[in-house]
Amino acid sequence: MRFLKSTTVEQTRPSQPPLGHLETTVMDLLWERGESNVHDVVQRLHRPLAYTTVMTTLDRLYKKGLLDRRKPARAFLYSPRWSRMEWEQKRAGEFVAGFLAGPQPAGELLISCLVDAVGQQDEALLDELEKKIRLKRKELYQRRRP
Amino acid sequence: MTGSYLFRLLCLSMASFFLAHLALGAALSLMAPAAIRLSERLRPQLAARLLLLLRLAPTGLSLLMVAGLLAPSYLWLEPRATTEPIGWVCLAAAALGLAVWSLSITRALRAAGRSVRHIRHCQRSARKTYLRGETAPVWLMEDPAPLVMLAGVLRSRLVISRKVVSALSAEQLSAVLRHERAHSRSRDNFKRLLVLLAPGMLPFFRGFGRLERAWARVAEWAADDFAVAGDSRRSLTLAAALVRVARLGAVPSPPVLVTSLMAKGIDLSARVDRLLHFVPATAKPGGVAKLLSGGGVLLGACVITLMAQPVTLRAAHEFLEELIR
Repeated sequence: MRFLKSTTVEQTRPSQPPLGHLETTVMDLLWERGESNVHDVVQRLHRPLAYTTVMTTLDRLYKKGLLDRRKPARAFLYSPRWSRMEWEQKRAGEFVAGFLAGPQPAGELLISCLVDAVGQQDEALLDELEKKIRLKRKELYQRRRP
Repeated sequence: MTGSYLFRLLCLSMASFFLAHLALGAALSLMAPAAIRLSERLRPQLAARLLLLLRLAPTGLSLLMVAGLLAPSYLWLEPRATTEPIGWVCLAAAALGLAVWSLSITRALRAAGRSVRHIRHCQRSARKTYLRGETAPVWLMEDPAPLVMLAGVLRSRLVISRKVVSALSAEQLSAVLRHERAHSRSRDNFKRLLVLLAPGMLPFFRGFGRLERAWARVAEWAADDFAVAGDSRRSLTLAAALVRVARLGAVPSPPVLVTSLMAKGIDLSARVDRLLHFVPATAKPGGVAKLLSGGGVLLGACVITLMAQPVTLRAAHEFLEELIR
């Protein structure tokens, strides 16, 4: 999978901008807790951060289109626009689409890499099943021995 | 819109079928999780029968209601000379009824056509032969894919690729063939055709997906159980054969009316685990099966007796008069 990190990724940059560490943490928190204001997010973060830093991060996520916001009183309430699953699907879809839209070898490499990965997982599963059968056969044989 | 005697009968039959089928289908969808949980506690053979019966119940009961109650009540009590307007609700329900039937019949015919083409292809590229120790013939194919399948709805043929025959030991091959013959014996391809023929709840929405998947799973388990015939050693042999065939490569997706050893959507790991934890059968099957079939016969007799009563036929006719307005 090393080639996935190579320059090809840069050439076929997905339309969704990547998230930074703090942005990911904030998104996780909002997916877990639901709609929250800046104060709620500051309270629930595991490390002390300035109110303005969190406010800027939430605003940036809103501008990136990841969050919705409304203002029922003085403070904005932020909520995720997509569920975690939808977001992951969108990211994976854009990543794959980016590769497939790229030059011919990049698309073929991605498909062959995915096929290899699935094949390896299948092989591992079959190895595991065969091991179980061998153990069971041994157990049965020992039970039948006088 | 006014309609002749026969046109009204047709509209009322279709509309009442659609409404009854929709109501029964919705009730079945709510019951499905509980029925699947119950089926997991039963023997696979009995569970397969129960799930198939439930899947076909909305169609069967709706047809029984229309053909055994509503149509006779109309023919008996509706004056022939009158012309009567048909309401839009009745017409819409009749159109939906016609649509669900047309779709299901088309689906079944297409599947049957694909199955016939598949059998012709097998007959062209396969050779009918008898494998060592087997009394029934198989169609041996020179195919790169590891095929073991049962093709044909009424007269089933066992198709196997040389790759599988070469890879399996005699004992494993025998277990695999017994598994496929179990499908043939229980007419699983014909049951698949019945499931395809049974209409969906709405046009382009079949519903019943969970029930159909659960039935397909327990039908595989039932065939596994038949193949091992209560013997722990055979159970291990079949498990080993399944893993061996899986190692030979991917199997192309067969047509819907063809049963494949490595059935699509069936969890191989769960199937092997089940075979490994196989408990030899000691007790005779009976209690629940007898109770279910006895209950079914009793209920059927009661329903038919009730349907034949003049008072029921009059009530059914009143319902039809309401529906047609």
